[in-house]
Amino acid sequence: MGKQKVLDVYFLIFAFTFKLITALMEDNNSFDQTILSPLLSNIYRFSNRNAFCIDEVYYSYKEFGDCISKIRPILKELYSNDAYIGLVANDDLETYASIFALWLEGKCYIPLHPNQPIYRSEEIIKDMNINLILDSSLSTVFTKHQTINTSTLSYDDDSLDYHEAFSEERTAYVLFTSGSTGKPKGVSISRKNLTAFIDSFWNCGILINEKDRCLQCFDLTFDVSIQCFLVPLLKGACVYTIPHNQIKYSYASALLEDHQLTVAAVAPSMLRYLKPYFEELNLPALKYCILAAEASPLNLIEEWKTCIPNAEIYNFYGPTEATIYCTYYQIKRNAPNRTLNGMIPIGIPMKGVEAIIVDEGNNILPAGKKGELCVAGNQVCVGYWNDPEKNRKAFFEKQYNGTLHRFYRTGDLCYYDNESILMLFGRIDSQAKIQGYRVELGEIEFHAREYLDGTNAVCLTFNNPKGNTELSLFVEDEEINQADLIGYMKSKLPHYMIPTKIILEKRFPLNSNSKVDKKRLKEKLSF
Amino acid sequence: MDKEAIIDKLTNIFRDVFQDPEILLNNEMTANDVGSWDSLSHMLMIEQVETAFSFKFKLKEINKLKNVGVLIELIESKVV
Repeated sequence: MGKQKVLDVYFLIFAFTFKLITALMEDNNSFDQTILSPLLSNIYRFSNRNAFCIDEVYYSYKEFGDCISKIRPILKELYSNDAYIGLVANDDLETYASIFALWLEGKCYIPLHPNQPIYRSEEIIKDMNINLILDSSLSTVFTKHQTINTSTLSYDDDSLDYHEAFSEERTAYVLFTSGSTGKPKGVSISRKNLTAFIDSFWNCGILINEKDRCLQCFDLTFDVSIQCFLVPLLKGACVYTIPHNQIKYSYASALLEDHQLTVAAVAPSMLRYLKPYFEELNLPALKYCILAAEASPLNLIEEWKTCIPNAEIYNFYGPTEATIYCTYYQIKRNAPNRTLNGMIPIGIPMKGVEAIIVDEGNNILPAGKKGELCVAGNQVCVGYWNDPEKNRKAFFEKQYNGTLHRFYRTGDLCYYDNESILMLFGRIDSQAKIQGYRVELGEIEFHAREYLDGTNAVCLTFNNPKGNTELSLFVEDEEINQADLIGYMKSKLPHYMIPTKIILEKRFPLNSNSKVDKKRLKEKLSF
Repeated sequence: MDKEAIIDKLTNIFRDVFQDPEILLNNEMTANDVGSWDSLSHMLMIEQVETAFSFKFKLKEINKLKNVGVLIELIESKVV
């Protein structure tokens, strides 16, 4: 054999091996392999183990599989062409099973919270052009729409086979976040985005197995909930949920203690409310505590540590647009932790995430310089539903490390410290985090002005004595009926967006630019 | 403090926290009966009750508060 032929054979072997490895790698990173296959295999492998504890009732993996099997056939037979399906976000087995039944059929879910005003859900249904809603409630409030009552369906046979490889670009879920124009905006997360998140999450060092008991205390309209139920189910662990009619903070603490939960993602605001009772809480079984949804103050976490002596604590950060979390920081137990204004850092980018700090001209800033945090990678979503203008503002392309990336502007002011740890200052725009929810103050002002016939209204945040953020609404009219205003806002906005303080002013103070002087208004917020 | 005085004081707290000047308490009342009674306002209400009646609940006691009647009984047992 000539030298060239030998080289050709070597080249062919190399090319084949490379192709095989690439194919295997791609396969491992598909939605099917990362999410659907592990879940389906756990349903059989751990059939007798508990998948959920809902309102003190346990449901095994077999029962969960049966529940998926009773919902899936009707989606396949009657609604095969509908991709975007509304899902009433109840706290029951049918609701969780619906998510997987939809994913197995290549569809996406759009959660509609049963306790949010119907007006808001109707806006979402209209915006997404939803034709079908899955609702496990005894009686549905969505009487004007085509609904399937998932509680009344019966199980005939297993419907857990999965052969179709749907495109990774298909949408897995759409979540609606507060929008400054008075209309919530939909964030579309694809199967590729969610796969990338799960892949990155496992890379952070959190080890979960079938013996774990995991807390799920977030509403399904909020993306942290997806980490809270999906991660345990992919490892055969049990998910403990909070019934909607329960007081979240106290019920969660009772679950943690009575059921000796081993994994919990919590918002710091929940810990603030539990703080007066920390000395009564002893949770040695907790292995991992994830802090999510808002900035974490170190002094609070230092006190919380005494309740969870054996837990590794992680601070996770991420906007909905970059799929649940995109950076993390592992809190040190026996060494000093860095802080900025008393807050724990948001840490380092998760695997596959590029995180840069830019100035107003999108130029990358060096370590130590403050600017807007922008993130790129497979976790970054395609964009907002039906909103090209917002997409143009929120996303941009830029060369970084020799590759063209599509970056999402987080709206968060950050810097890299000298050890490449990301430190978070706060928001650049007028968003606020209330009980972990992202809230546009402009959306609250919009609805107040609508009711007040254009009378000026300004929404500002303030910290209550516990340190949690609350909303105040200033109205430039001393004679309005506050109860009526609140009543109207409750019909338009979810509970966490209703101001807890209303202050009536004859005239708003103005600054030197003749704009409402928000700083002086804020001074009026005293306790 | 007698039961009537406790109910009066508690009614004022409820009206303030839940932003409804018309609220009238009854033993069977739960969060489902009051529009703005959610997890956040519940903790604010607990805090105001602790301040107004000068005692502190145990976390386990808060977890067992099934309705307003149980809350009134618990306050009664603490302030007597």
